[in-house]
Amino acid sequence: MEKPSYNTDIVRGFVNWSIIWGLVAVLVGVIVSLQMVNPDLNFPPYLTFGRLRPIHTNAGIYGWGVGFIFATFFYMAQRLCKTPIWSPKLAKFQLWFFNATIIASAVTLLMGFTTSKEYHEMEWPIDLMIIVLWVMFAINIIMTIIKRREEQMYISLWYMMAAIIGIAVLFVVNSAAVPAALFKSYSAYAGTNDANVHWWFGHNAVAMALTAPPLAMFYYFLPKSTGVPIYSHRLSIISFWSLIFMYLWTGAHHLLWTPVPDWVQTLAMAFSVMLIAPSWGSVINGYLSMNGQWHQMRDNYLVKFLILGLTFYGLQTLQGPMQSIRTFSAFIHYTDWVPGHIHMGTMGWVSMIGFACIYYLVPRIYGNEIFSIPLANLHFWLILIGQLIWSISMWVAGVLQAGMWNAMNPDGSLTYTFMETMVEMYPYWWARAIGGLIYLIGVLIFIYNLYMTVQKGKKSSSTLTEAEGRA
Amino acid sequence: MWEKKPVLLMVLATCTILAGTIITMILPFTWVNTKADRIEGVVPYTPIEQEGRDIYIREGCNNCHSQTVRPLVAEVLRYGEYSKSGEFVYDRPFLWGSKRTGPDLARVGGKYPDSWHYKHMDSPRSMVPRTNMPDYKWLRDNPLDAEAIQHKMDVLDFPYNNPQIAALQTKNEMDAIVAYMQKLGNDINWRKATQVEIIGELVNPYAGVDHITMEPWESVYRNNCAACHGEHLEGEIGPELVGDNYEEEELFKIIYNGIPDGGMPSFSALGSDKVWQLTNFIKYYNQGEGESH
Amino acid sequence: MDLASVFYLGVTFGLFAILVGIVLRTYSKKRKETGEAPKYKMLDDD
Repeated sequence: MEKPSYNTDIVRGFVNWSIIWGLVAVLVGVIVSLQMVNPDLNFPPYLTFGRLRPIHTNAGIYGWGVGFIFATFFYMAQRLCKTPIWSPKLAKFQLWFFNATIIASAVTLLMGFTTSKEYHEMEWPIDLMIIVLWVMFAINIIMTIIKRREEQMYISLWYMMAAIIGIAVLFVVNSAAVPAALFKSYSAYAGTNDANVHWWFGHNAVAMALTAPPLAMFYYFLPKSTGVPIYSHRLSIISFWSLIFMYLWTGAHHLLWTPVPDWVQTLAMAFSVMLIAPSWGSVINGYLSMNGQWHQMRDNYLVKFLILGLTFYGLQTLQGPMQSIRTFSAFIHYTDWVPGHIHMGTMGWVSMIGFACIYYLVPRIYGNEIFSIPLANLHFWLILIGQLIWSISMWVAGVLQAGMWNAMNPDGSLTYTFMETMVEMYPYWWARAIGGLIYLIGVLIFIYNLYMTVQKGKKSSSTLTEAEGRA
Repeated sequence: MWEKKPVLLMVLATCTILAGTIITMILPFTWVNTKADRIEGVVPYTPIEQEGRDIYIREGCNNCHSQTVRPLVAEVLRYGEYSKSGEFVYDRPFLWGSKRTGPDLARVGGKYPDSWHYKHMDSPRSMVPRTNMPDYKWLRDNPLDAEAIQHKMDVLDFPYNNPQIAALQTKNEMDAIVAYMQKLGNDINWRKATQVEIIGELVNPYAGVDHITMEPWESVYRNNCAACHGEHLEGEIGPELVGDNYEEEELFKIIYNGIPDGGMPSFSALGSDKVWQLTNFIKYYNQGEGESH
Repeated sequence: MDLASVFYLGVTFGLFAILVGIVLRTYSKKRKETGEAPKYKMLDDD
């Protein structure tokens, strides 16, 4: 079969921009973590914690996360389908529109135009932009899949399609609002309904944006990096169906003990615990793929990122279900434990996979060998240590805070005032800021390494030079 | 089959994700916010309250403050009556939050007088020395846009009258956010309902206490009372406490139950022991009577 | 047991049957080779 000429320009574009937005996300993250320990670092009206925190989360999810989803999906879809991208022009326009959307989001959020809905703060005109962006992307990927020259579809394509549909459904439903001004709208749902719809969105955004796509990447880039196939394609299929079935029932575990109907909470709790099975189906599949290849953990830095990332996915999907149990939620919900959990998923699982993909992609789309493997290893250790400091300090803080909130005297009165519990958090918030700073240094080394790869890297041997074939 | 047919696979995947969606997300609409859910006394926001709510959203207050009290012992003690679905029917969007860097605000309405909120928003650390809440004094510089607020009330279909709109002309954003704070959780009369009626005779367990015993109680006073009544009981937001002539039992009851209509919070969550400590501290420590017993 | 519980139980068993069906289909001897084929194919030089 003649080798199709794949479009690598578009992959380059999304790789570059996703890294820039990723840097913004981490940088703003460090800033808000410092605002937590010193309120004098708030500069009203624009640079306050309340306005910057959504910029941190949305830059991370929509800029970095969705950015490298675009990059890797365009790369994987072309190769798994053995056909060039359906419309390179549309993809190119999508890149510009993507950046326009992210910039518009950042600017409007700084101005205080927000819906307040976590991970979906952008006001309705930006929501419309995101919908247009997603539709463009969906058409291009789906058409590429339909035009494929490889009849049977590899599991990564399954996860990609589920993610494309899932995000579309979630985003549109949760965006429903009545505009009151150009940048002000009121939710179409009220009170308890709004809460239930929102966390159905919130938790499944985790499923469809931060689980399914990284799984698609993992299933593609692990075998590509190790040179051996995954352990079982059939196991990945069982995990696929059960994962996309079970996730959608679990949103209300964010709302345990709130006025949301009890039975919705109970279903969410039960399905959250059951979700361990499909999650670990993928984890075990990944580990077994390493059978006889574990030495690559030492020699192959890509594998290090991928397998550590998968390990954090495994830990995340044990800790998550644990938190979804009513009694445990009663204790740790609303404390700093929860950000500790989220950041293991984002800084550990999602970003580690993202870094691995980009390390794999850059030599292939630029035709240069990676500038420095020792620097890539340093990057690995910095983000690993940074993330562990971040999450562990928050777990300890959360347990301490929860214990103090619940502490009662023998006469049935509370032992501590709220402020007595809050001031105990300062040392942990400092530790978290330092963890974030270490992570930021890791990201800067990553960017330096890639920059040098593109500028000064040796031309790679013929096996890597797909760049020659780019359209 | 579907492993070779992408459209079929996507249709099946859609059905799969819709199952849980329909049951846990769409179905609850048939129960939630229906008539059965309604609570008498829960009314829509007034123009100034709604504007305060929109400012609360604009400033991202929900990133640090939750607005639901869970039916858990320690939580009800700390914040008040647990939250009920019917209390939120006019909330678009919901503001329950997910993190308590600061305390829950679902029941903050009526807990403090307005002057407490103004002072606290101006400079949180002047009242709560080690808080990490930023200053919001600058909200005072922004007048309200009556016309825009009226339009928003129309969009929400909330009732209002002309005097309410006219009154906005002289108000600023700080007034609005304080008005919103005072509305929160206050539509049901839980504060009076949960007041404790003290049965039987109150006996001061520390009768005749000396200054040395009372010294450590100063921190209880500072943590709970000083923000309003001053470091030296001289009074500020709350009245001066030096030289008042309440009986011990009376003073105990006021601290324990608060004065719901007068903006004095209840301190029953401290437990009767600490409330007695405060009673004795206020009555004797700074009034030179401690040693006379 | 009331009617609603019977209904819920039925739905649960129905869902479980679908899962068993998918597992049996995926793991049937007939599909062993085709089911695992994509994982080798994607390693081809692309």
